[in-house]
Amino acid sequence: MPDSEQNIISDLRDENKRDLAFHTLVKTYQERLYWHIRKIVMNHDDADDVLQNTFMKAWRNIDKFREESSLFTWLYRIATNESISFLNSRKRKSMFPLGEDNEFLMDNLMSDPFFNGNEIQMKLQQAILRLPAKQRIVFNMKYFDEMKYDDMSKILDTSVGALKASYHHAAKKIEDYLKNAD
Amino acid sequence: MDELKNSTPELSKLKKEYPFRTHENYFDDFSVRLQMRIKTEKHASEPQKTRFIQLLKPALGLVASFALIFMLVYVPLKTFMPNRIPELAESTNEFETGILNYIENIDESSFISLLNEPKNKEVEFSDDELALYVSANFSDYEIYANLEN
Repeated sequence: MPDSEQNIISDLRDENKRDLAFHTLVKTYQERLYWHIRKIVMNHDDADDVLQNTFMKAWRNIDKFREESSLFTWLYRIATNESISFLNSRKRKSMFPLGEDNEFLMDNLMSDPFFNGNEIQMKLQQAILRLPAKQRIVFNMKYFDEMKYDDMSKILDTSVGALKASYHHAAKKIEDYLKNAD
Repeated sequence: MDELKNSTPELSKLKKEYPFRTHENYFDDFSVRLQMRIKTEKHASEPQKTRFIQLLKPALGLVASFALIFMLVYVPLKTFMPNRIPELAESTNEFETGILNYIENIDESSFISLLNEPKNKEVEFSDDELALYVSANFSDYEIYANLEN
């Protein structure tokens, strides 16, 4: 665990320093968590809501943090769970039939004013959105964030072997889509 | 990993760049908005204490009512009852003392004559008084029946 993280944790335990320490924690992790969430929910406003909920959950449960994992892993896990819960709640509210829950994500992608990529990048995003949710999260964490499998294993509570297999399958599916889609 | 690169040539050609952006200053504003939300939540948790008191209010009211009734009953009892009991005791004592004083004050001969005095003195009535009493309290039939016996 890095020293800076250890300092934040010890300050979070101190009632008098808690507010400032939490502010430091937010400043340190907000950007990485935002992009992690954004890749899952695919929309800025939704990502903003989920990011706020993630930090609020962390704030409320800071006393329960047992240092069995790093602060970074703990926050990533909360963010991932909050994002999946958000997608599930959207799925329940969605008028699309079950199994087509990525349709609204595709709509978000097509109408996103913050997309600034080229045509092939759009095609890649469409290919990623066709993956099952868990595989999509694994692919994004490995491909874009270049996260280590060990860290991913702690965050997603999945074995390294299963994650490698999941990434491999995802990459193959995307390759097929890039080759065959118009 | 090389094996994967070989099997996914199209993917390997792409730049590993996430093609999205966000609002300018979004991350500066975010921490401020979050601080405000935390403050709001802290304030929101304060009235919960008030709400807890509000939940307790009926029970507190009930306890207060019982206390008031207890005070209204117990305090007057406590105030007046202890005074009344000595008063009664005092009055009983006064009566007994009075009799004793009376007995002590009379001389021996008077006391003996009092003791010898018959308890039931015979009272004599005149014939007229008797006739009046009988006519007032008995009917003619009862008088006749008594005479028959």
